[in-house]
Amino acid sequence: MVIETQNEQKHLNKGVVLTLTGIWRGGRRLFPIALFTVPFGIAFGVAAIESGMTSVQAILMSLMTFSGAAQFATLDFWQEPLAFGALATVVLALNARHVIMGAALAPWVNRLPIGRRALVLGYLSDPNFADSQPLFQNGERDAGILLGGGLILWVCWVAGTAIGTLGSAELGEPTSFGVDVVMPCFFAAVVAGQLKQVSMLAPVLGASAVAVSLLDILPTGWNVVVAALVGGMIGTISHAK
Amino acid sequence: MPSDILAVAAIIMIAAITCASRMAGALLMSRVVVSARIERFLNALSVSVIAALVASIVAQNGLREAIAVALAAVIMLGSKSAVWAMLGGMGFAAAWTLFMP
Repeated sequence: MVIETQNEQKHLNKGVVLTLTGIWRGGRRLFPIALFTVPFGIAFGVAAIESGMTSVQAILMSLMTFSGAAQFATLDFWQEPLAFGALATVVLALNARHVIMGAALAPWVNRLPIGRRALVLGYLSDPNFADSQPLFQNGERDAGILLGGGLILWVCWVAGTAIGTLGSAELGEPTSFGVDVVMPCFFAAVVAGQLKQVSMLAPVLGASAVAVSLLDILPTGWNVVVAALVGGMIGTISHAK
Repeated sequence: MPSDILAVAAIIMIAAITCASRMAGALLMSRVVVSARIERFLNALSVSVIAALVASIVAQNGLREAIAVALAAVIMLGSKSAVWAMLGGMGFAAAWTLFMP
């Protein structure tokens, strides 16, 4: 399946590996961020119980889905009769940006055997994508860095959910310690770090403007996808001049 | 509150959709030969998806979140440390919640 022929300039990307050392490094890099997903996991656990989920169901969901936005949205649908179609649509919209991130990681991830590729991508989420992609671009060749970051986030998310379902509601109030801004601040830092490449300024501004202006027009999630595609096109065009 | 079987079915459905979304991008690209032009597109796409995410979050929240995010970006430009940027933004947001009624 992997197309490696007729692709001269990709020789740099040969030899992408997945090692335990890489996984460990990725886990350590994202540990400070992952810790702050615990309060969000707790908030989800508490909200899930309030919505009528059992703690087993809530924990199962965090284990299998590992997507905060999709899981919180699901709680809005948690009643009889369950609107499967509408729920599927909302989850699809909230997760559509994964497709963008997967495509952006393809030049590196697709060099792995298919099983390892699926394993690494299975733990793809916003923070480990934001952390790993610039590293890959700067020559990192160990996909473990992506997987390790995902694993530590996943462990903290599931642990938080478990604590929340056991009823520690007080710990799950993220605004009180500023925990709620951790993720946007981390993402903003990643974007700022990328701005050392001046060519990225136009895509960043373009994508931000599109995302905000589409907020009220498109369902949540799709605005980010459209904005990212516009940003990508700006990057391609502005560079071609 | 859905019955047990329906609840588990819903949980599996959500997990399957999410998993498929994680696999789809790389799968799609496995049929594409990555030219220099596509590489530029993917690079700009990477920054853009994160930027769009931040912009949406900021637009849906208030001044507190906007300043915290701006502060994080400035700290990052100065210190090159995402962890310090994150802690700076978080400290500001915590102080705001504490001191603003």
